[in-house]
Amino acid sequence: MIIVNDVYKRYHTHHGPGRWVLNGVNLTFPTNVNVGLVGRNGSGKSTLLRLVGGIDQPNKGTIQRLSRVSWPMGFGGGLQSSLTGRQNAKFVCRIHGHETDIADRIKYIQSFAELGDSFDEPVNTYSSGMRSRLQFALSLAFDFDVYISDEVTAAGDVAFKNKAASALKKIADHASIIMVSHGEGTLKQFCSAGIWLHNGKAHWFDDINDALKAYKGSIPK
Amino acid sequence: MTNNYSTDLASSPFNTTFRVWKALFLREAVTRITASRAAWIWLFIEPAVHIGLMMFIFTVVRVRVISGIETGIWLLIGMLAIFTYKRTATQTTNAISSNRSLFAYRQVKPVDTVLTRGYLEGYLMLLVSLLTYSTTFLLGFGMIPYDPLVLVASFAGLWLTGLGFGLIASVLTDLIPELGKIISMLNSPIYLISGVVFPIASIPDPYRSWLMINPLVHGIESARSAISPYYHPLSGLDLGYLFECAFGFVFLGLALHKRFAVTLAMK
Repeated sequence: MIIVNDVYKRYHTHHGPGRWVLNGVNLTFPTNVNVGLVGRNGSGKSTLLRLVGGIDQPNKGTIQRLSRVSWPMGFGGGLQSSLTGRQNAKFVCRIHGHETDIADRIKYIQSFAELGDSFDEPVNTYSSGMRSRLQFALSLAFDFDVYISDEVTAAGDVAFKNKAASALKKIADHASIIMVSHGEGTLKQFCSAGIWLHNGKAHWFDDINDALKAYKGSIPK
Repeated sequence: MTNNYSTDLASSPFNTTFRVWKALFLREAVTRITASRAAWIWLFIEPAVHIGLMMFIFTVVRVRVISGIETGIWLLIGMLAIFTYKRTATQTTNAISSNRSLFAYRQVKPVDTVLTRGYLEGYLMLLVSLLTYSTTFLLGFGMIPYDPLVLVASFAGLWLTGLGFGLIASVLTDLIPELGKIISMLNSPIYLISGVVFPIASIPDPYRSWLMINPLVHGIESARSAISPYYHPLSGLDLGYLFECAFGFVFLGLALHKRFAVTLAMK
């Protein structure tokens, strides 16, 4: 379970503090419910994911993570570009305390990412599709209770998209997923509940279809 | 305020931090040693060429003996000492920006990257110093240190000062990028005012006591005085002053990292 309690967030710009991206958000993510986040560009979807993932802090309010939460996967971070794919994988294994079974995890990551010889090349030589394949494989190699996905299924070619989708399905059996996606199909496929972010507020819907309806209703024709 | 569960619930915060340090150390070591073609060789060659050139200029063109020890050894110790400080300071100053992408994992904090870089640089400079110093025996002007403990303490103090400087500078350059340029400007003449290439003792008094405010002078002179009992060190030399400054810097740096922990990890 993750409890977001009265969270405010804004970023600093070159002209002083910016607008409130999140303006008093109260949410409770229940255990074993897959949640989809919808909202227009800049409505704070990725910001909320970063806060829930613990890599950014709110200006005001608290976030309690009462379970093992993954890092936000698929937003382009988390890979050191001068290191090879294998070295990055080793680093992530080490900081998650898997020093002893590092060989097995690497083998899993390598076979899932399907990078071939590029696995031993520096990440800065990768295409964006290859990067996201590696990131996705990395996050699958560890057991979390909640996986945070920021458009991760959108990356890669058709074959990998299918593979990622079936892997996410498998995750959904034993853990929950919080995801941002602009693909309506993806959201309907994975998520039962939905959150609509609008004007800095978060609105919870028990049915993802209602969230999508509210989101579409807010778009000016 | 925010509960942070790591991936395995059984691990203590200390375990998590230690794991991050280990992973970061290996990641930094790999980059430092294999980043460019034969990068590891340049780690040794850079100071060696520097020292060799200075030695040539001083011993062939100018003086043979400074304050009772041979100019070669005098220069070599001074250069290794200032390199220990300067490399640690510059490497740690840039630690946060070089590891920014790794802050995607909430276990990794900015201060971890600075501390592990400082540790790695200290370790590398120990190897470089030992190798360079043993070369002097092959070249026939080597001297067995007369007080090895003071020598070790001086280098440790200089390293710690570099780490403290880096801890402070890494926060400041991240918060105010313009300060980064000023800080690197500050560090370039340090070579001249720390008595590496000319003896501080040769400077007349009101100015000499000003120069001795710089803690590095005390570290470098102490290291030299540990080589031979016949060396006449600077009057007013105080190794304790170096350590006072070093611990002061480290404390201030850690405090800044604590204060700005949230701001630093954000984009």
